[in-house]
Amino acid sequence: MSLLKVENLVSYIGLFTILHGINMEIQAGEAVGILGRNGAGKTTFLRTVMGLVKTRSGVIELDGQSLVGKPPHKISQMGIALCPEDYGVFDELSISENLALAKHKDDTATQDRITYVLDLFPDLKLAYKRPARTLSGGQRQMLSVGRSLVNETQLILIDEPSKGLAPIVIEKMALALKEISKKSTILLVEQNFNMALAVTDRYYIIDEGRTVHNGIMQELANDKELQHRHLGL
Amino acid sequence: MGNITSRFPNLITIPKLLWLLAGIVILIIPPISTTATITMVSRIMIFAVYAMAYDILRGYIGIIHLGFALFIGGGTYFVAILFANVGISIPILLLAIVGTTIYSIIWALIVGKIAAKSGLLATAMITMAFAEIMRNMMERWRTVTNGLDGLTFRVPAPFDNRTFMYYACFVFLLLMAFALYKFTTSPTGRVWQAVRENEQRAVFLGYDTNRARTIALLVSGVVAGLAGVMFALLNRFANTDVLAMQMTYNAMLYSLVGGSGSLFGSIIGSAVVVLFQNFLLDLRGVHFIFERWLIFFGSLYILVVIFMPKGIMGFVETIRERWKHKKGGKIYES
Repeated sequence: MSLLKVENLVSYIGLFTILHGINMEIQAGEAVGILGRNGAGKTTFLRTVMGLVKTRSGVIELDGQSLVGKPPHKISQMGIALCPEDYGVFDELSISENLALAKHKDDTATQDRITYVLDLFPDLKLAYKRPARTLSGGQRQMLSVGRSLVNETQLILIDEPSKGLAPIVIEKMALALKEISKKSTILLVEQNFNMALAVTDRYYIIDEGRTVHNGIMQELANDKELQHRHLGL
Repeated sequence: MGNITSRFPNLITIPKLLWLLAGIVILIIPPISTTATITMVSRIMIFAVYAMAYDILRGYIGIIHLGFALFIGGGTYFVAILFANVGISIPILLLAIVGTTIYSIIWALIVGKIAAKSGLLATAMITMAFAEIMRNMMERWRTVTNGLDGLTFRVPAPFDNRTFMYYACFVFLLLMAFALYKFTTSPTGRVWQAVRENEQRAVFLGYDTNRARTIALLVSGVVAGLAGVMFALLNRFANTDVLAMQMTYNAMLYSLVGGSGSLFGSIIGSAVVVLFQNFLLDLRGVHFIFERWLIFFGSLYILVVIFMPKGIMGFVETIRERWKHKKGGKIYES
């Protein structure tokens, strides 16, 4: 059984239908990229899975359990974590408080995961007591991703982690995500093709709110014509 | 020779010394002061609790409750109606406390439901309407509340003694400050701050923000209601002023002047505002211009908003950070 199954998903914001038919299946342990042009509906798709955008019709299932109609906090408790493109950290709280706030349980396993996060992102350890507002874009992104690892998560949704970051930081982030993908299932929305290539094994392309293509990431990297047709590269 | 704080760094710190000093000053006021001063400081302590309760909503979770007087007014009227119409005894006082708690819980749940469905602005407006409805009800229910003239009543011993009442207010302030401090530093308190900063972010971290908001309303409402009970015991009088908008504005003012999002700031704010009010009132005998003391009071408020937007506590914090920075230390230690 797939970890995440999406069938004929249609979702809307206000009067506008944004997603017109998304189909996707993700197995546990996979790292999958969601690619597409600006405004294709990639972010809306992640937000729909998270319950932040309303579903009109279709199926979204996590491990066989329907997510449609569930409030976002319940979906989070079911084991989905979201790292939004604006990082979603709490500016006035310190790194330690941001991580503490993400905890669903206060047990040894959670503490071990926080230790893992701090080992993965040493920058966070160095600035542990600093308010998030004083962090750089890269550090905020690390905090956002780190926070999604605090709980026992089944699926991590990451929205454009390379956005606005310097090339050296993007490289560090790609390495960290690759490391995370060894333990977790990742669904990565990314405009930066090289970043997506470095982190994910499979991809889906979304265009005008529909999944129009999917396949193996390495094959897409070798197919310039396909890249040009779907991604405008 | 080093100073005492440097010799015993973990035992005695400047804030601890200040707290100790404040405690000593509060304890020795009754034997050396007039009844008027004792009553005024008692009132400050009750208003400090009321302001802290308001700050839980405004400063910690970000709810603007324009009908907050509902709670303090409810507590005051429970005591007044029971003492004036049923009897004067400690069991009746306990009944008033239970009644106030239930009343506050009901209002908190109603406002919680509204806040879950409506936006911040709608909640502010609806709560203001609730307080006005309640004020109007108390005004028209003359047979029980004596309408605009209000209710005068006696209180049971030992609360009829001003000095006892003063210490009771002090204990009440300590207990409520401790309880609220525990709430704000608990995981629930952290969720409140998360909701205040960005509700959607708190939601996708797995928090039921409606529940967090209702808990804040319950805590804040019950504490403000109990402040109303103490207010009635101190004043031995209740009229509809206690349910008026002015009462809500007072809570806002104490909290803003002291520093929103800081319980200690609410205590400081209440003291500063009440003392300044009294100071201006006393000046009426010096010059006729002080008959219009509200003009000066309003000016102070404007100055605070312009020059200390984060209130006294925020101002102190800024100075502290600058001082640390000047000394060459890091503002934020890793």
